[in-house]
Amino acid sequence: MVPFPDRPQYRAIVAVSQRILDGLLTAWVTVTFTFFALRIAAGDPLASLLSQGLITHENVEQIRIQLGLDQPLLTQYMQFLSSLLHGDLGKSLYTKRSVSQIIFEQLPSTIELALSALLIGLILGIIIGTTAAWKRGSLGAILAESLSGLATALPVAFTGILGILFVSWLIGGLPGNIGLSSVKNLLLPASVLGFASAGPIARVIQSGLEESIQKPYILAARARGISGGLRLFWHALRPALPPVISLTALQAAFLFGGTVITEVVFSRPGLGRLLISSILQGDFPIAQGIVILAALLYTFSHHLADILAMVIDPRLENEHEK
Amino acid sequence: MRSRVIVYSSLLWLSAVVMASILAPLLTRFDPLQPVGPPLATPNGQWVLGTDALGRDTWTRLIYGARLSLSAAISSALLSITIGGFVGVISASSPHWVDRLIMWFSNALLSIPGLLLAMILVAGLGPGLATVIMAIGISGVPGFVRISRSIFMQTRSQRYMETSRALGGDSLWIIRYHLLPNALSQLLSFSTVQIAWAFLGLTTLTFLGLAGDPSTPEWGAMLNAGRLHLIEFPHLAILSGGAITLTIMSIHNLGIWLSRRTDPTRRL
Repeated sequence: MVPFPDRPQYRAIVAVSQRILDGLLTAWVTVTFTFFALRIAAGDPLASLLSQGLITHENVEQIRIQLGLDQPLLTQYMQFLSSLLHGDLGKSLYTKRSVSQIIFEQLPSTIELALSALLIGLILGIIIGTTAAWKRGSLGAILAESLSGLATALPVAFTGILGILFVSWLIGGLPGNIGLSSVKNLLLPASVLGFASAGPIARVIQSGLEESIQKPYILAARARGISGGLRLFWHALRPALPPVISLTALQAAFLFGGTVITEVVFSRPGLGRLLISSILQGDFPIAQGIVILAALLYTFSHHLADILAMVIDPRLENEHEK
Repeated sequence: MRSRVIVYSSLLWLSAVVMASILAPLLTRFDPLQPVGPPLATPNGQWVLGTDALGRDTWTRLIYGARLSLSAAISSALLSITIGGFVGVISASSPHWVDRLIMWFSNALLSIPGLLLAMILVAGLGPGLATVIMAIGISGVPGFVRISRSIFMQTRSQRYMETSRALGGDSLWIIRYHLLPNALSQLLSFSTVQIAWAFLGLTTLTFLGLAGDPSTPEWGAMLNAGRLHLIEFPHLAILSGGAITLTIMSIHNLGIWLSRRTDPTRRL
């Protein structure tokens, strides 16, 4: 980095622009890796179409030219990059519809699930984390700690199945199956996914709280006669929150993987199910588009969290160098 | 005391799974792929854990599944550990710019979530169990490069390295007699974590149906198959799902225990 020893504001600008540049380069590596992983490994992308009898040997050459697959790989790559910059992700091999259009149709459903899961995860995580840190060794703390361990250890697929069983057992005792569909469509999938992401959040809050509870200002607050609950939520919890913010950004990656599984378990429409079905069908433009979108979103949130953390705590500016 | 109970029960479960997978043909008289009774029989004297939707013995499929899931996860993890460890050594012992290039590239790859990276590779190679093993293995590489590099860097900065060099030890001698043995204990505990991750990734991908043939006796695929008759016969899904969860938890606990044991600042 160019040294500006006496000008802290320049150093901040340089550090932030370095992160932005780094983010752009990472995005480029991601896109390139996805492109070549699909092309080199796939062999012939039309093979699966041929084997299903959707195209014949006569017009395979024609389709190949239509899709630009007869060009050398490098030319294909350049074309792919330039159309990507224009927001064009190509066309589905099966329906011939634009991939970006197909993705945007499924996007709201996945975002709805991911955001509700994140909200539930944060609320659950804060409740479990504070319970575990407050009054160590009490029954509540032990229970909360095993709950957060369980949330981290249970695979999302299994939690989902247990969730379905639990709800059907719960509703089985009630007259009629009223409300089952709304519970099954959003509340249950979001809770399952939220429970899984509550595990790491609870861990971070617990360790942050355990550290800040021992700080002198908590003792000072106690000496001033501030009651236990207020002391916990206002004085001790606040300093423990910043790491949760950066963890939440990192959860974006986890949540995407999780939505794939949750959507399959609950037969809920969305990008995850679209991704799985396009992988199984061999519809590579759709799979490619979803993977690129998810990876770019993740890179973006990751670097945004990095910059945010730096704005909050300027000491982190130099950490990148090490 | 509490942690000792956890470690012992983890070891107990893992050795049971390993024994079951080695002795699978001796523990059952059925074939995991052939129907042996009526479909969806509940547990009884003849079929200990009942039969699945196609009349295959659930106990048989579970122990053959242990064999397949465990060996597949270990193969994936070995792939990540060998490639990642190798690149890590190169990165740690190369000139500065090579090191930076390797690290930058693995950090960029790390920015694609692991499960997603594996899915790209499955999309490229086409569904199948071998593909899934390879995809999980490769997607674990960038993370392990970073871990092994930092372990080697840390070990290399120790005093005895300098001493050995001063006494005239060449690079190969130092790597063979000083770097590897001292880094090994730490590498081992991280490898355990890698196996737990591979196990979770693998069963997730097979659960999603990316391993192709659904009749394969494999825990993830069995969990998926159990969904069909979930409400009436929940034991099918609970058995395979529970086995997956217990195995991941046990490997993970063992990893934590190993890392505590091998932590040089806490040596007994």
